[in-house]
Amino acid sequence: MSQMLSPDMTIAAEAAAKVKIEVKNLNFYYGQSKALKDITLSLPERSVTAFIGPSGCGKSTLLRVFNRIYELYPNQTAEGQVLLDGQNVLDRSQDLNLLRTKIGMVFQKPTPFPMSIYENIAFGIRLYEKLSKSEMDGRVEQALKRAALWTEVKDKLSASGLSLSGGQQQRLCIARTVAVKPEVILLDEPASALDPLSTAKIEELIDELQADYTIVIVTHNMQQAARVSKQTAFMYLGELVEFDRTEKIFTSPREKRTQDYITGRFG
Amino acid sequence: MGEHTVASFDEDLGQISRLISDMGDLAGSMVGGATKALLNSDNALAQRVVSDDAIMDARQRELDDRAITLIAKRQPMADDLRHVVGSIRMAGDLERIGDLAKNIAKRVGTVGLSVTPRDLSHSIDGMAQLVLIQVQGVIEEYAARDAAALAKLRADDERIDVKYTSVFRELLTYMMEDPRNITACTHLLFCAKNLERIGDHVTNIAENAYYVLTGTQLPANRPKQDETAMSAPAA
Repeated sequence: MSQMLSPDMTIAAEAAAKVKIEVKNLNFYYGQSKALKDITLSLPERSVTAFIGPSGCGKSTLLRVFNRIYELYPNQTAEGQVLLDGQNVLDRSQDLNLLRTKIGMVFQKPTPFPMSIYENIAFGIRLYEKLSKSEMDGRVEQALKRAALWTEVKDKLSASGLSLSGGQQQRLCIARTVAVKPEVILLDEPASALDPLSTAKIEELIDELQADYTIVIVTHNMQQAARVSKQTAFMYLGELVEFDRTEKIFTSPREKRTQDYITGRFG
Repeated sequence: MGEHTVASFDEDLGQISRLISDMGDLAGSMVGGATKALLNSDNALAQRVVSDDAIMDARQRELDDRAITLIAKRQPMADDLRHVVGSIRMAGDLERIGDLAKNIAKRVGTVGLSVTPRDLSHSIDGMAQLVLIQVQGVIEEYAARDAAALAKLRADDERIDVKYTSVFRELLTYMMEDPRNITACTHLLFCAKNLERIGDHVTNIAENAYYVLTGTQLPANRPKQDETAMSAPAA
């Protein structure tokens, strides 16, 4: 693992950014089965990090540890440390609601609430803040603009979120995430169910959002990882095989396993 | 090197490798043929070299087409990407080697008409042998995936530069000795310069091949021994 540490530290140094999330010796278990094995890596602030690897490699699991969403399910346990700005989010004392406002998440399948477009955004904000009608209107507009959806929905804010197209629904979910002012956004295959044009819009959005947020994206689409991320982690069988600058990973990776995977020579 | 899950991907990459190898063989035979034609005043052989250049150009166009189609279809990554992009660049250098060999071949008739060309062109013979070894070597070492040998081969270009400097001075001397030599020697100077340029294209190919194989670039600076630029004004 020490071998793994050095390029990872180079990345943080190169980005000249402070480390937002630091994962230290993280192990994760689904019941008895070990899904993450001694993962150590640092994610720089306001930057996009991609996790790639074959199905079952642990990349989504790692993402799910960051906001402890795995705790919704029984028999799933994490050990080790995940430091968000130096604070271990795996601590028992960690307030989960607060954690999940700081670390928002968007899933593969768009999951708008069965309510109006406006309410989809306002719902989350109301959980944490008491705002006047005009303040709330402002926040909803701001979030929809941030998610590049405003011009498409501004005249039908009372329409159901479910009436939108798949790509629009996904951007609505991103708007919903952004609305509660998170620091980190986790994207789990955010564009895999979308057509190329909607995918391009999501990628453009990710590019804009990284100015303000630390973004972690799990994707099966290698070209997408190459396009949107600054650093890429390749995982295999629960291990972090290689973590480096994205250009390096996709042009001349150090590890043979990485090379075999990204060039389509696996298994 | 493992096989791709999609077997036709391997076939596509294999075709590009074969084209590079064909173009390399052709470049070797054109350079060898052109210098032999020059030394023996063999017009028929020179003519063959000239017509071979059309084949070289056609191969390069085919490689470009295949490489661009492969990129569009497969979106290659890592070593595959380096292989495809490196092949496009290597093909460009091989095509230029073909052009330079053709240029030597085209001068064979003119040099042959002048006085005692064999004596004058004798010094070029040694230089041509060095260049031919480099041209053949670079394709062989790339096919053998020997990065260390490619780095050495690139450094060996220095010997051609040294030889070029001495040929340049020798031909200048012949011209000063007897003005009737000027026409032949001027053509021979161009031939020597072409050979020196071929050596430079070989170093480009070696650098590209090294990058394709290792993913790292050779250091930018390579010793330069062509002193003709400095000696020319004095001459």
